Amino acid sequence: MSYKDPIIHIDEQLCTGCRRCAAVCPVGAIIGEPGHPQTIDAHRCVVCGQCVQICTAYAADNESTTASRAVKLQERGQLPNVREPLFAAYSSGDIQKVKAVLADPKRFKVVQCAPAIRVSLAEEFGLPFGTLTPGKMAAALRRLKFDRIYDTNFAADVTIMEEGSELIGRVMSGERLPMFTSCCPAWVKYAETAAPELLEHLSSCKSPMQMAGALFKTYGAQLDGIAPSDIFSVAVMPCTCKKFECSREEMSVDGYREVDLVITTRELASLIKDQGIDFIHLPDEPFDSPLGKYSGAGSIFGATGGVMEAAIRTGYELITHEQIPNLQLDFVRGEEGIRTAEVQIGELELKVAVVAGLKYVDAVLAKVAEGTCPYHFIEVMACPEGCVSGGGQPKLLLETQRKMAYQARKSALYRHDSHQKVRKSHENPDIIKLYKDFLGEPLGHTSHHLLHTKFVDRSFKEEMS
Amino acid sequence: MNNVLPSPFVIAEAGKCIGCKACELACFAVHNDHNGVVAAVGTVTVPVIPRLHVVRTESFTLPVQCRQCENAPCAEACPVQAIRREEGTMVIHEESCIGCKGCAMACPFGAISLNKAFSNGKVVPQIQLKERQHNAMVRSAKVIAYKCDLCRTRDHKDGAMGNVPACVEVCPVGALSLVHPDTSVSRSRTAAAMRL
Amino acid sequence: MNRFVIADPDKCIGCHTCEVACVVAHAGNNMFLQDESGADFYPRLTVVETDEVTAPVQCRHCEDAPCANVCPNGSITSKDNSIFINQDSCIGCKTCMLVCPYGAITMVPAHKGGQKQLQSGLRSNTAGAWRSKERIVANKCDLCEDSGKGPECVRVCPTNALQFIVPSQIEDSISRKRLASAQSLLQFGGFSRL
Repeated sequence: MSYKDPIIHIDEQLCTGCRRCAAVCPVGAIIGEPGHPQTIDAHRCVVCGQCVQICTAYAADNESTTASRAVKLQERGQLPNVREPLFAAYSSGDIQKVKAVLADPKRFKVVQCAPAIRVSLAEEFGLPFGTLTPGKMAAALRRLKFDRIYDTNFAADVTIMEEGSELIGRVMSGERLPMFTSCCPAWVKYAETAAPELLEHLSSCKSPMQMAGALFKTYGAQLDGIAPSDIFSVAVMPCTCKKFECSREEMSVDGYREVDLVITTRELASLIKDQGIDFIHLPDEPFDSPLGKYSGAGSIFGATGGVMEAAIRTGYELITHEQIPNLQLDFVRGEEGIRTAEVQIGELELKVAVVAGLKYVDAVLAKVAEGTCPYHFIEVMACPEGCVSGGGQPKLLLETQRKMAYQARKSALYRHDSHQKVRKSHENPDIIKLYKDFLGEPLGHTSHHLLHTKFVDRSFKEEMS
Repeated sequence: MNNVLPSPFVIAEAGKCIGCKACELACFAVHNDHNGVVAAVGTVTVPVIPRLHVVRTESFTLPVQCRQCENAPCAEACPVQAIRREEGTMVIHEESCIGCKGCAMACPFGAISLNKAFSNGKVVPQIQLKERQHNAMVRSAKVIAYKCDLCRTRDHKDGAMGNVPACVEVCPVGALSLVHPDTSVSRSRTAAAMRL
Repeated sequence: MNRFVIADPDKCIGCHTCEVACVVAHAGNNMFLQDESGADFYPRLTVVETDEVTAPVQCRHCEDAPCANVCPNGSITSKDNSIFINQDSCIGCKTCMLVCPYGAITMVPAHKGGQKQLQSGLRSNTAGAWRSKERIVANKCDLCEDSGKGPECVRVCPTNALQFIVPSQIEDSISRKRLASAQSLLQFGGFSRL
């Protein structure tokens, strides 16, 4: 599989050239004159989808100059019965492919949802911002005929085990510091394009989605006694760039794609509506064991600062062998911009930074290049407030509600965390079991094979075929 | 003195508008509670019918909307008194509208449009009026006149910041203003006096 | 959207030519076969003359035609972008006449082949004698659909006071007015400072 579709598009028939998308694009990939349709420089584009979120240039029903709605829906990979308005900026959909696979009884369909889906999906059904619906989400996926309802949050716990261990190792040896997180594919693509010389600073961990995918077709396949070739792995993501990530050539395990298809939160909602499922009145159902059981730490990955907080909760205890005094680390929580903190972990004073919004990362990268960056560990999320504000999340009709929506989605994540019995990744019993039965130890041989990756220099301009 | 104050209205400023249509979308969003339209685009199941209209030409772009005329020609033209002044706003009572198109023809700004009426995400059918479609007589869709009502029925739970219409609130470049003719003119007058 | 005929009162001189043309157009050849004493003159538009205004008033072919919406047996329907009364099934209940805000509907004796139609069953006592009652039906502008030539009133008006409006004309006129009103604002600004 290779990267063909640029994923993010601007429909020239609908674009009015207002350039609000250009104002939110963190990488200056949107090109055009004011008042004229814009185009996207696919080489620069990090596929974050913020342009898709801001665009208000909708197709009026009576515009005779534009292609028919049915044609556009087809082009955009949306279902023909979608009723919402179409906008100039959009991301390619894969929902028709998912629908076809779900109808195929011969495939063993496994699904995972990112942490940020359960705090925003309800908005698509008219429920208030911040309505938390993990149980209804699992119930809906089961009714969509997925055979296993696993979860990205489980893999987020795995990520903490791997990335936390990697960080401890690097801090102890003093090598390749600072270490950047690598779970945000838009950030990774940006680093590969804009700062390939600094790629060794990225954690070698795959993102939680890819780790989950790799485990589904190995550990999961063993548990269910299913051949990996029969498994079809779908990920529901708040992110448009995850579609790019899953198609990266190296994201495969033993010749199988780790994640076969990614759909966004909006696409999942559209599928639920298409199947006539009454989402609001669904009962709460559990995720499937063991790859669907998660700690509170796994669930906060969806907010900026969440990976950092989860990593500190585990890192503190792995290093000091003592209980962390306070689980709620307010100093890493927050909004768009850069936050920094110093955390006393035993003897070690860990210097951390959280970057929310890709446009803020350049200043940090410049310091790293100079060798003057004081931090040990830096979390980078391309979207303004982390995955809750991702390009695949429910799109708002009113810009004035954006802050409120993001705040409510984040609060719901933290609420979900605070209600969990287990709030630290290394205490998740299914994580302990995974390492005992399958992986061995973090950064061990199997982990290295399944859960870690290498990044590529993309600074040259790829030929788009 | 019992003078009636002139009605406030929304007006756009040329040169500022960038043509993003956020005003049209916001207008639609806050007028469609009855169609289940909430915050997310995904809750929209009806066509976007705005009450102001972004005009776009090669050289400029600008939204046009109702000026809340004091001697409203639309209301004069309405044969069923469906257009009335309420708390200083010219309001079309959609339930009384018979779709005669008189108001749309009378308005010199093109601020009124006729479109299908929707409720609960579905077309509102006529009470009795039927038309032939594919060899069956079916009840046709009710058509009503739409125009700016200064968001007078807006539910301010949606995070509205003040008592301004949604279009004014969302315009990213401040091209739309809600003007109160009496206060704005007295300000111009004071300023003119100062210059004397 | 529906088509309709509308008058410009500034042009109308009150000559009633439109009314005559309407009657002729709907009577067909049979108009001249009628008994002179009983000849019916039932135009489907009416010239109103007051101190302030002179203009013919006729059906506006409303999108949500109140006449059709109150008709108890579906005799008024939407057809080819117009509102059409089926006089064969009209029961003469008069409700449509009452609800039309334009006064565009009148009740008239039904004719067929130049002859007044009588009820098959209903009898009425007139001057001591029981006779079959004549059928009375709702009558209004039908845009001269049967002629295939468009409204006759528009064609005959000597001052071009009548106009046949088709949906695209309304849409075009709204777009033109919008454009003009936007253009008129181009040189003014500073409203947000007021």
